[in-house]
Amino acid sequence: MVAGTPTAQSAAVRGRARRQREEELLVWPDLVFIEFIAATLFMLTFTLLSIAVNAPLQDQANPAHTPNPSKAPWYFLNLQELLLHMHPALAGVVVPTVALVALGAIPYYDNDNERQGEWLATPRAWTMVWIGTIVGFVGTLMLVIWDGQKHVVLWAQLTGKDVADWPEKLNWLRNARALQNDIAWPSSWEAVPLGSKILRTDLLGLPAIDLDVNIPAMIVEQMLPTGLMIGLPVLLSAVLWKLGIAKTRRDHMIVQFSGFISVFLTLTILGTFFRGLGMELFWFWEVSPAVS
Amino acid sequence: MATTERPESRSVTDRVYDAVFHSYFWRSIFRSGYPNTPRNQMLAVATNVFLHLHPTRIHRTHVRITHTFCLGGLSFFLFLGLTITGVLLMFYYVPSIDRAYTDMQALETDVRFGMLMRNMHRWMAHGMVLTVLMHMMRVFYTGAYKPPREFNWVVGVVLLVLTLLLSFTGYLLPWDELAFWAITVGTNMVGSAPILGEPNRFVLIGGFDVGPNALIRFYTLHVIGLPLLAAIFMTVHFWRIRRDGGLARPL
Ligand code: HEM
Repeated sequence: MVAGTPTAQSAAVRGRARRQREEELLVWPDLVFIEFIAATLFMLTFTLLSIAVNAPLQDQANPAHTPNPSKAPWYFLNLQELLLHMHPALAGVVVPTVALVALGAIPYYDNDNERQGEWLATPRAWTMVWIGTIVGFVGTLMLVIWDGQKHVVLWAQLTGKDVADWPEKLNWLRNARALQNDIAWPSSWEAVPLGSKILRTDLLGLPAIDLDVNIPAMIVEQMLPTGLMIGLPVLLSAVLWKLGIAKTRRDHMIVQFSGFISVFLTLTILGTFFRGLGMELFWFWEVSPAVS
Repeated sequence: MATTERPESRSVTDRVYDAVFHSYFWRSIFRSGYPNTPRNQMLAVATNVFLHLHPTRIHRTHVRITHTFCLGGLSFFLFLGLTITGVLLMFYYVPSIDRAYTDMQALETDVRFGMLMRNMHRWMAHGMVLTVLMHMMRVFYTGAYKPPREFNWVVGVVLLVLTLLLSFTGYLLPWDELAFWAITVGTNMVGSAPILGEPNRFVLIGGFDVGPNALIRFYTLHVIGLPLLAAIFMTVHFWRIRRDGGLARPL
């Protein structure tokens, strides 16, 4: 409050109020009419769609027959896709929980209310959308191709060789699991006796924990995916910040959100259309229907 | 007969209009005629139980289709459509593993419009997941989550989760192969969590495998538990929009 200018201020406030009144419309009929049209169009669309396309009903459930592949509903195929690349607890529980909490936290981080209520109105907004979307898409695709060994197939096709000709020295680069199997880890790392040697519960008079940790497996199933999922977005933001491309919190949020949506969609589409028998990667025209 | 001020000849349409809209019965429902002055139009919105979710006036930009693409409204509309078709489906469906699948078959072949109802319920459910996701994107890209609307965004995230769970619990009910294995895959993901995973999965499906207990649990959640929760959160969501001063707009 600036003391001494009460008249000027209240005039400004009054002027603003009047301007806003003029910018306003009545809900009846202006909005109610639009809602009515939208509802009618939607009703019509869904009725026509339902006349034209029947909901699927397959054979009765039979716990003894597992169809191959068996897939979750499409909006969970992104998680099922993650399941192929990392520890199930990470893909099925930790990632979705963290993602939802992070989503809910967006407004508490990006709480500067400049330019709200307009489509992508801050400067640089569209640049951020494009960067996030493209990086998310390309990054996800590259990681999935690598873990599906499709870069080996691509290499074979490009050089006219056979997949089996992949140089033995580079075996560890075939996919994520190869990092565990084709690197000469010290054998003692494969069963670190966490229970009997390190967490000495027996000293407290408690029963000893029977737990041997396989470090190379843990690297592949937990540390590497976690590192990538946290590291890559952080790296992206850091680079954009250093280069002066993303300046405000809103910029970073747009990059991250667009990247998230892009990864989410890419995984969903891959899981829906590009995974066939044994959840292998195929071109979508080569994916055959599930067999049971 | 005294001559009156009445116009000599009233057209048929005028008479019909009078007979319907000025009748005792009509007036008992709608106390006033068509609201054709701004004052009455505001009253119509403020006093009608369905319309009063709205404010009486809104900002010009918010009426433009391209501001919201109606996505939140369409999500709500789909929720209503799903409730109606869902209640109709409940008439024919018994959630036991002996009957669920045959009930679905009977619904498709023996019940008049049964197939249509089932199709509409199915496609609207997929549609709602899509509209809710797109609504979230529109809110994000218009920066409409910023103060004072932070909490409504959080309510929205809860609604997103509820929408997914509603769809997921409904997926099991036809008890066909698609349903059974999709739910098996989905609940196995829950079961893989460290420590709490297995107990949670057990509670969710009422046993170690997807079976009769899972069916009745999913059914109950699907037809009453989750819709009730969603309705409560939607109420809060809409109320907060009003309390936060309508939709976000540039300061
Ligand atoms: C069942 C799901 C949902 C329903 C029925 C719903 C309904 C609505 C409606 C009718 C509006 C009014 C404006 C519009 O139509 O865009 C709205 C606004 C809003 N919604 Fe939702 N919504 C849902 C889910 C979500 C989700 C998932 C989020 C975000 C994570 C969200 C956040 C918001 C916010 C912040 C506003 C205020 C927007 C503004 O001020 O411009 N809602 N919602």
